[in-house]
Amino acid sequence: MRNQAGERGKTSMQLYAIAFFMLWEWLRPIGKVTETSYLGVFIVFIALSFAGGYFQINKGLKVTIKLLYILGSVYNFYYSGGFFHFNWWNLFFTDLSKNAGFIGSGDWTALSDPFRTILFFTLLWLMVYLLQYWLLNRQRIFVFFLMTIIYITVLDTFTPYNAKWAIVRTVLAGFTVMGILTFSRIINKENVGKDSTSRRKWMIPLAVMLFLSGFVGMIAPKAAPVWPDPVPFLTSLNNKSGDEGNSGGIARIGYGTNDSRLGGPFIPDNSVVFTANTESSHYWKVESKEVYTGKGWTSPRKEARELFNKDEEVPFGRFPGDIKTEKEKVELNMNLLYNHIVYPYGTVKINAGKNVSFEADPVLEKIYSYMPNREPYRATQYSMDVEVPEYKVSALRSITGDEQTVLSPEFMARYTQLPNSLPSRVKRLAQEITAGKENWWDKANAIEDYFDLPDFTYDQKKVAVPGKKDDYVDQFLFKTKRGYCDNFSSSMTVMLRTLGIPARWVKGYAQGEFQKYDSENSNRQVFEVTNNNAHSWVEVYFPGQGWIPFEPTKGFDNSIKLNYEINSHSTNKSEAAPVTIQKKTPKNRLEEMEKNTVKSKAVKKEETALKKATVFIQMQWLKVLLGFLAIGILAYLLYNIRYRWLPHYFIFLFKWRKNDTQFAKAYMVLLKQLERYGLKRRDDQTLRSYAKYVDSFFTSNEMGRLTNRYEQMIYNNSLPKGSWNENRELWENLIKKTIA
Amino acid sequence: MRLDIEKILNNIEKVMIGKRNVAELSLVALLAEGHVLLEDVPGVGKTMMVRALAKSVNAKFKRIQFTPDLLPSDVTGISIYNPKDMEFQFRPGPLMGNIILADEINRTSPKTQSALLEGMEEGSVTIDGVTHILQKPFFVMATQNPIEYEGTFALPEAQLDRFLLKMKMGYPEIGEEMEVLNRAQKVPPIEDLTPVIDLEGLRAIQTEIKEVYVDSSVKRYIVDIAYGTRHHGSVYLGASPRGSIALMKAAQAYSFMRGRDYVLPDDIQYLAPFVFAHRIILKSEAKFEGITAEEVISRVIARVPVPVQRLVN
Repeated sequence: MRNQAGERGKTSMQLYAIAFFMLWEWLRPIGKVTETSYLGVFIVFIALSFAGGYFQINKGLKVTIKLLYILGSVYNFYYSGGFFHFNWWNLFFTDLSKNAGFIGSGDWTALSDPFRTILFFTLLWLMVYLLQYWLLNRQRIFVFFLMTIIYITVLDTFTPYNAKWAIVRTVLAGFTVMGILTFSRIINKENVGKDSTSRRKWMIPLAVMLFLSGFVGMIAPKAAPVWPDPVPFLTSLNNKSGDEGNSGGIARIGYGTNDSRLGGPFIPDNSVVFTANTESSHYWKVESKEVYTGKGWTSPRKEARELFNKDEEVPFGRFPGDIKTEKEKVELNMNLLYNHIVYPYGTVKINAGKNVSFEADPVLEKIYSYMPNREPYRATQYSMDVEVPEYKVSALRSITGDEQTVLSPEFMARYTQLPNSLPSRVKRLAQEITAGKENWWDKANAIEDYFDLPDFTYDQKKVAVPGKKDDYVDQFLFKTKRGYCDNFSSSMTVMLRTLGIPARWVKGYAQGEFQKYDSENSNRQVFEVTNNNAHSWVEVYFPGQGWIPFEPTKGFDNSIKLNYEINSHSTNKSEAAPVTIQKKTPKNRLEEMEKNTVKSKAVKKEETALKKATVFIQMQWLKVLLGFLAIGILAYLLYNIRYRWLPHYFIFLFKWRKNDTQFAKAYMVLLKQLERYGLKRRDDQTLRSYAKYVDSFFTSNEMGRLTNRYEQMIYNNSLPKGSWNENRELWENLIKKTIA
Repeated sequence: MRLDIEKILNNIEKVMIGKRNVAELSLVALLAEGHVLLEDVPGVGKTMMVRALAKSVNAKFKRIQFTPDLLPSDVTGISIYNPKDMEFQFRPGPLMGNIILADEINRTSPKTQSALLEGMEEGSVTIDGVTHILQKPFFVMATQNPIEYEGTFALPEAQLDRFLLKMKMGYPEIGEEMEVLNRAQKVPPIEDLTPVIDLEGLRAIQTEIKEVYVDSSVKRYIVDIAYGTRHHGSVYLGASPRGSIALMKAAQAYSFMRGRDYVLPDDIQYLAPFVFAHRIILKSEAKFEGITAEEVISRVIARVPVPVQRLVN
């Protein structure tokens, strides 16, 4: 007897240990994949829980220890002051009640960290309980084992977590535990006395087989993956470009500072950035970048910022004297507040209020606003004096590159910089496109026009992320030919640079959507600029003319004023009527996009709700996953103890039913409930003999009486009026017996 | 009327000790207008049982001892030339009674057997071109000895089908047998039995039994069991639709006897072996394995789910 108990103890200790290790496998990746830290605390917790189960400690004591441990950990993580001090308890309970409210309102993101920690502890607690149940009561673990494998493989595939050894560990542990369980099931089923020889006969081959198969699996050659690694895509998806200082470059559209890694799809975002009140449409510049890395753009060069205030001129962007300009006043109302200034081409002065001063970064050509106390100022409203330039095409055409001497070598090196890794075919393509063009203007226009070819597709979703060996521009030009502004603008900039034309990459916003004419002054127009208008384009430097914007992106159009000087032969220069034409024929792509989005309001709402949900899931996928897991486990537990709560529900349900036909339903419910209770009716057992069996179990005659009436009903087709009311008491008594 | 049935059973119990179930089943067959095949060794009280039954219902009791040289006319009756009247006169055989004990039916020639069985099925016998309607109620209890095979003529399936129930008597238990001995010392009690019901009353009960309600779910259950016998692995020939009808009729009579006016699945389960066992033929392999028809039927019952809800049409 003693020996047997010892034997069982040994087996269950192995089971507990393996269960602990398998659950540990679930925790291991969490530190890698999420921001969870102090994983050790959680691991100790599951170890504690399993130990409590193994040593069969008194239930109340077990619960107390675990609760204390959870409280202690939470206190340790988040609170200070003595553990028994009133203060933190107070904070803690306010936090709990607040979070309960959040849960009620489904506001998952608002949950505080302490509360999340508690939820996580609870989840682990449940898992330990479930594992114990599976292992010791059901003696089945396959589902959990399979789930563990799926979990690890999914994480290995879709996250940076490397699960090579985790898989090996899990497979070994899983098969061992299944082997042990099968053994003990067989022993129980065949009712064989356990002795150590039969155990050894089972365990040794099992261990050998597991070891061998594991070893072979490790060293055997494996086929290469069928799909490319989705990790880069997902990591980039997880980093929103709307945040500053992120390492990826893809996901949510909008203004961001980091462009070192471009590529991948983005999610549209309709939030309004600002509304502009202008006379003409403008591109809104924020900054420019110098260095192309092969993956994206950076600007490592630092130069002292120049200070200026509202009465002083912006220290860059001035046009040479011989370019005609038209004065214009631009007013911006910001919706999303930044401490950088969004400005159109030709901005001379900025006024954001009396005390606001500005700093210009000459490298980025980025303007920051500051309070007098050097605090960054997030302007809500500012106006700008703009001089809109009008370029003479003849002057532009006259630049052929021989003027390079005019430009300093340092300048040329900076703006024709290219990474060594850039494939040479980019340059060959650029030369091909510009073949026969003599001057920079024509060359730039040729390249700009090249992207109008139907080979190129504007797309925000199916956009590739360059792999480790891919060049961002090369991939777009030769492989995918599908992308959005970053692809087009970067490609054009790089191609220009391969030709020795100084060019840089500019970020900001496109014109925005025309809303209405200003009510006070019908010459003025109001534009609304949203995050969807965030844009990038190209600037080319023309000696003597300055930086001129180019727009290679399909469907976008930046009109600059050009003077083709049709009457240039006229002696009276001032009489010469300049023909200002738009550089590009307008594309209707944008309009089409807009049309699509207008549609009906309902559809739009639905779409936005869907988008919101998608964004939410993409941002919080781990939490969503854990949430589903928790719900699943809860549902499973509820299902497992349904014989405890279902009767109450049914008693309540049938209390209000007066119709006699309900009797049949109620009786079937009773049969089901008795089955859950453990009194199963065999299929071939008649109701009468079953009733006898039930009555002998409960030592009553109620089932017999009830069954007699039910038999009358179904086999005699007779249903006396009011019979359900009479029978309900019997029925309720029986149902209650199953709960007692 | 149910009181009458109880009285009959009590009456029989006065002479038959401890065989209430056999008495009940015999009565079921009588009430359902069927016949019974008793399969047992001699001397266990088959005759006593039938005589008691006949006496209780005040029926004309006849007994035929079948022998290999028995002729059909010995059973049905014969026309004999009466020189006085100068014409043939019909002398009825033992078949012209109400309750007939056909002892050791498998001992006689098939010809004679079929004469009896025709009477059982048709309720009439034809002799010399004249059809004689048998009296009602007409109840045959045939016995057959399962031990001896020498010089017997086994009843063919088609003829076994004529019997509503087949059952075994079995030996009495020790206490019961001692009681039998005690009673045997005195005058045979059978002589003292008085009728408790007349033939008219019996016929009325027979009519009433046809009204016992059989729900379609129960009918379905009967059919399912019959179907099960037809598709069981050990069965060569399953129960016929006539078998299903027989089971339903027997169940009606049994329910009536139990004081109900509707049939329960319990009745079906109880009666099915008695109704179906002699109607199915087992495969030879099954016979060699020692499986009996009763076992097969209980296996079929174990597999067919009992209806516990109304049949939805």
